[in-house]
Amino acid sequence: MKTKPVAAIIGAGRTRFGEHWEEDPKAMIGKAGMMAVESVDKGIRRKDIDACYFGSFLYQVTNKIGLIPGYMSRELGLNIPMINTEAACASGGLALYDSCIGIQSGKYDTVLVAGFEKMSDRQDKIIDDLMFAADPHEFESGYNFPGLYATMMTRYMYEYGNGDPKCEEALAQIASKNHHHCIKNKYAQFSSKGEVSVEAVMNSRVVANPIRILHCSPISDGAVALVLTRPEVAKKYTDTPIYIMSSQEATDHVSLYTRSNITGVMATRLAVRSALDDTGLTMDDIDIAEVHDCFTIEEVFFLEDSGFYKKGEAWKNIYESYESFKGSGHIPYVKKGKELTVNLGGGLKADGHPVGATGIRQAYESFKQLRKEAGENQIDRDVNTAMCHNVGGTGGVATAHILMRDIQ
Amino acid sequence: MSEPIARRNLMVEYRLRATRCLNCGEMYFPPKYFCNNEGRQSKMLEVDHFYERGEFFSGSMINEPTNRFSHLNAFVSAIIVFNESKVRVPGRITDFTSTKDLDVKDLIGKGVIPRFRRIYSDGKDGLIYYSSHNFSLEDDYYPYQKYEPVKPSNTDGKPGIVGYGVYIPKFRIKNEEPALGVLERSLPFADEDTTTFAVEAGKRALIHAGTSNRDVRKCFVGSESSPYAVKPSMATVIQVLELGEKFDGGFFSGGIDSQFACKAATDLLIDAASLVSYPIFNGRDVMVIGSDNSQAAPRDRLDYSVGAGGVALIIGKDDVIATLDHYLPYTSDTPDFYRRDGEKYPKHGGRFTGQPAYFKHVVTSMKTLLKETGYTPSDIDYVVAHSPNVKFPSQAAEEAGFEKKQYEAGLIVRNVGNLYSGSSLAALGAILDIAKPSDRILLASYGSGSGSESYIFTVTDKIEEKRKRSIPVKEQIENPKREYVDYYTYRRWKEMN
Repeated sequence: MKTKPVAAIIGAGRTRFGEHWEEDPKAMIGKAGMMAVESVDKGIRRKDIDACYFGSFLYQVTNKIGLIPGYMSRELGLNIPMINTEAACASGGLALYDSCIGIQSGKYDTVLVAGFEKMSDRQDKIIDDLMFAADPHEFESGYNFPGLYATMMTRYMYEYGNGDPKCEEALAQIASKNHHHCIKNKYAQFSSKGEVSVEAVMNSRVVANPIRILHCSPISDGAVALVLTRPEVAKKYTDTPIYIMSSQEATDHVSLYTRSNITGVMATRLAVRSALDDTGLTMDDIDIAEVHDCFTIEEVFFLEDSGFYKKGEAWKNIYESYESFKGSGHIPYVKKGKELTVNLGGGLKADGHPVGATGIRQAYESFKQLRKEAGENQIDRDVNTAMCHNVGGTGGVATAHILMRDIQ
Repeated sequence: MSEPIARRNLMVEYRLRATRCLNCGEMYFPPKYFCNNEGRQSKMLEVDHFYERGEFFSGSMINEPTNRFSHLNAFVSAIIVFNESKVRVPGRITDFTSTKDLDVKDLIGKGVIPRFRRIYSDGKDGLIYYSSHNFSLEDDYYPYQKYEPVKPSNTDGKPGIVGYGVYIPKFRIKNEEPALGVLERSLPFADEDTTTFAVEAGKRALIHAGTSNRDVRKCFVGSESSPYAVKPSMATVIQVLELGEKFDGGFFSGGIDSQFACKAATDLLIDAASLVSYPIFNGRDVMVIGSDNSQAAPRDRLDYSVGAGGVALIIGKDDVIATLDHYLPYTSDTPDFYRRDGEKYPKHGGRFTGQPAYFKHVVTSMKTLLKETGYTPSDIDYVVAHSPNVKFPSQAAEEAGFEKKQYEAGLIVRNVGNLYSGSSLAALGAILDIAKPSDRILLASYGSGSGSESYIFTVTDKIEEKRKRSIPVKEQIENPKREYVDYYTYRRWKEMN
């Protein structure tokens, strides 16, 4: 296994996800950023930060602002290089990828990377705005995002569902599982909602057949920030840095209809494969994964695209894993005795999905779990390796990051 | 959307345009102008799928659409695959009112046909956007037809009708009580309007005529319900049907939208016939379209007789199915029915629209034409007149000396309502569907305001050969896939025009 990390995470902060009526995006990033800086165990000063990377998708539309570097220079009181990355729902993942490149290049020692989105400021139009992440011909054919994923889900069920009602049930179990995971996550949008039964998911209203409202991630506001540094100097700031072992990005057509296959996401396959090859790991070495479950079908795709389950068989394994689980903690996916626990804080589905923040939130959650700092929501087994998987649009871009605590 | 973006999009979406690499055969939608495999060496050819049959690959029933499409309530969006070219495009299933228990998987593999429809508009004062990324299911109302231009065997004959297309929309409303004989009426689906009717009718006329679109160099669209006060529907028809020689995104053809109440189109048949005979006209054919989403104020008397649809005639001199032999117009300033600029609904003079307006003009033009030609009513096999209802054309025909057997077959108004500019032309279409060679047809149009012109056509033996390419009006009227809606839906869809 490769032991040379790309970067190290030494601090992390986030806001609660949900509807932040009183706050604007700049204030949210400020809060998350300050939390991240303050969380560095041995302390760090703002002047030690060499550059900032931000990920956001729709701020120009939702908040009628541009020039994020200028806003954040004022907010943070810094005049260092700042870069904003837009890659739809993968904006955060791509900001993290860019920040890793910044560190790997030797240009920067320490950077702040943050993702944010303020969707509730335009909630009456956000369903249209989100279609900027799709092909215009799809928009003009009446599609919305649930409809696009529903088109993938329809085809998946047609090709692999065998007419078995358990396939549809498995897609509801994912939602139920992720709601279960978020209950003890104090930052999650739906932590107070409690358990959501499989029956409730399957009886919820149909948004875009066959996708129901409880298959969907919500409209959210939120910001998350991380402090990254060079692995070689990480222990100067904390005794337990979390190392980014691989940072990968892959792309595919923005349009669903031009892809040869719509029962999976090629960008995910490529990014995950690169990350595994880069580290010499296999999916069986991954203990936990933060997966881009914008709609539950996307979690199915990840389990197959990553190779954890065979193509077309994830739903059967999801069903069996869910049905056979008898504990009260996190519900893992099981394969020949191997456990992979996915979306420990509730994922996009239940933690929330402020689009540009999601990719950073995934690293935040992994950071906390690997450092055993997830409080009441801490996974009840020892985990050392995590994967973060962030997707933009219907798969026009995907990032994969492998994080590890102990690398020796 | 901005006007320049609209223009760029329509260049692709009106015809489902793609490109093919001439070296390796790779297809691209949206069109690309270099091939991923061949790079700078690639030579790309534009191809379109406007007349192709597609197949439903996958999709979703969108119950909670974007604001842009909220006017359509719930609908199916889909990925459509054209099996021959292997191109996939996104699209929306139209003319389709699905049920809540629809399983979209059941649609996979079904044949679909591209339809030119309105997609949305930028409010009431902005642009209206159209595309052909709308598909009706092949086993639904709208049949699939190939378009195969045929080399004419008889050229430079007497001007007349080369082909025709009648488009009656799928949806109908029944009258609780017959309105002057009108039992039921057609109405636009939520994404149809006068321009889409015109395109559909024109497409059918091209298919029926077997003429090349490149030879049609003039297009007239007569209507009193144009979606725009200023912006011609005929330019859209030319762009979609590619009428005339193509050059730099445009076409060497012309035309106008015309207005004269319900005879906005019919009075141009003589102009079309003149044009194809005029030596400096460099085309072979002229397309004349009458199209209307017939307007009526809610609960007005007219609201129980108006229909919707379009009819296109291709006038030329090659392989005509009926020669245009005689013409007689009659006009006076008679204010029986009108709509002021900016007003939504027309007003009318009640009973004044009858005797001093419709009957006076129609009967005068019919009788005078008979007199001028020396024909008697018994020399005419079929007579059709503008049909605001069943009573008016029947009574006018009888006043002119015709019998029921001569006008009965043209009374399609009973089942489709008053198609305004398309009314008498649709009736003519119904006659052409059944006419035999050498039959003589008298067509009398009427336009409020007021005028009537009468034509006499003689059917040729070409009609039999071309008949297999038509979709008969009777089939459309009786199509078992037609659907009835309630008054509320009828008004809502009609108001979207």
